Amino acid sequence: MNRWLNRSVTLVLTALIGWGVWSVLHWLLLAADWQVVVSNLPLYVVGSYPVDQRWRPLLWMIALVVLIGFTLLGPRRGPLQRWLPLIWLAMAPLGLWLVAGGMMLEPVSTRDWGGFTLTLLLTFGSGLLALPIGVLLALGRRSRLPVLRLSSTAYIELMRAVPLIAVLFFGQLLIPLFLPPGLEINRVLRAVLAFAFFAAAYIAEDVRGGLQAIPPTQREAAAVLGLSEWQSLQLVVLPQALRIALPSLTNQAVGLLQNTSLMAILGLVELLGISRSLLANPVFIGRFLEVYLWLAAVYWLACTAMALLARHLELRLDPLRSDR
Amino acid sequence: MTVAIRATDLVKSYTPGSRALDGVSLEVASGEVLVVMGPSGSGKSTLIRTFNGLEKLDGGELDVLGVRLDAAHEERPVCEIRRRVGMVFQQFNLFPHLSILDNITLAPVKVQKRPKVQAEQRAIELLDQMGIREQAHKFPAQLSGGQQQRVAIARALALDPEVMLFDEPTSALDPERVKEVLDAMRQLARDGMTMVVVTHELGFAREVADRVMFMDQGQVVETSDPASFFTNAREERSRRFLSQMV
Repeated sequence: MNRWLNRSVTLVLTALIGWGVWSVLHWLLLAADWQVVVSNLPLYVVGSYPVDQRWRPLLWMIALVVLIGFTLLGPRRGPLQRWLPLIWLAMAPLGLWLVAGGMMLEPVSTRDWGGFTLTLLLTFGSGLLALPIGVLLALGRRSRLPVLRLSSTAYIELMRAVPLIAVLFFGQLLIPLFLPPGLEINRVLRAVLAFAFFAAAYIAEDVRGGLQAIPPTQREAAAVLGLSEWQSLQLVVLPQALRIALPSLTNQAVGLLQNTSLMAILGLVELLGISRSLLANPVFIGRFLEVYLWLAAVYWLACTAMALLARHLELRLDPLRSDR
Repeated sequence: MTVAIRATDLVKSYTPGSRALDGVSLEVASGEVLVVMGPSGSGKSTLIRTFNGLEKLDGGELDVLGVRLDAAHEERPVCEIRRRVGMVFQQFNLFPHLSILDNITLAPVKVQKRPKVQAEQRAIELLDQMGIREQAHKFPAQLSGGQQQRVAIARALALDPEVMLFDEPTSALDPERVKEVLDAMRQLARDGMTMVVVTHELGFAREVADRVMFMDQGQVVETSDPASFFTNAREERSRRFLSQMV
């Protein structure tokens, strides 16, 4: 009796899954019109960047892909491995220089930045800025000085109580109103700052969690060896705390990447923004499904790369698992 | 005979009304091994933690290697003392993210600004002396408790301290690991190191100590040479403690 029930359930489920897979494949391969993606690939990557300068953002992205590949698949030891963290850090200024120009390259106004390049620049820039601010806020929240502790706590709680979109609106629309006429902060920079100050509050809490996991005896051990408080923090406490906080920090980084898409609402033509303007083109009218599936795939790929890199870093930093 | 540590009327109170240290005075001569014994809560750990400023004094005065310390607890004398006094904890407190070698060379390189190569040579020597040279490139979590504690001793010795403080160095160890740590300490005493050791190891106290100090409820009950302390303690409280130990 039961056996027949099991069999029929299996049969029905198999049929349903089969039908689902077949119709998805059918749509992907036959019904969908991928023209909207294929013919606009350069736009997705660089937006309205001047055509004769497109090699610059492309070069940066190729360098990123090579670096990711080398980090994940390259040899675990070697002369280059020691410099990997620095090379990674250098990717942000390198990207900025290649995209913005100046210093031997023709300057390109931020108005022309766009596509996946802008998405990555926003993520990289705000992430790199948010991490040190977050660490300082976490330390401030645990400080013995009441002023520092209270203001850090107030900042963190305030930022966490405000939706990101409100912070971004503030950055894009309100800050220019407060600035004296003539002084103007660039749109992309405003976005990066808004993202960084928002993410810093969350990062601070992740780092605080890491700091709390370090027993006070570690500081004592450092103190009796004559290390100053700053040395103890820098050499003993923070390296351990950041390692513990790493999984949550990865979470923040992935979230940051996806949240950059909110800037499309505020008029930056990053990956989502450029897609929206493509959909507004009468030639591609109604091709929503193709475009959004393609976007999903690109975001998924980028987030997976980040997750893999973070996992790699976790393993490298675990003294018991890395064969240093 | 020069005095390494002189304590006068030390008072320490964690909660108002109760005193962890209640007027403790003592002297430790240079090259002497003083063993501090007593039931838990008697203030012996608190006492040696005041010697290098880990606990702030509420009263009394300390003179450690000529550096004075009192309730004001300024930062400069504490630093000066820590530079010249080594300490070993009950829980080892090695830095888990650093290799054994880096644990030992961290302070010599960062605090004393010695060249890295020279600090590493010295670290290897010390590990050799502790009988764990082959562990140099492992991480603390890969070592047994006894090995970790010997690394902790080596880490303290790497700064060439004039005095070593031991806070129950064998209390967290498996019984069969105790001996290897005590042997290392015994060797240190033989080499003439000034040592203050809080311990429950009667055998070590009997054999190595120059004097045994017995504490209870934040006060010194008696200080004697080990032979008379263990066979014929003066105070009733000490005799009761000893009778429960064996």
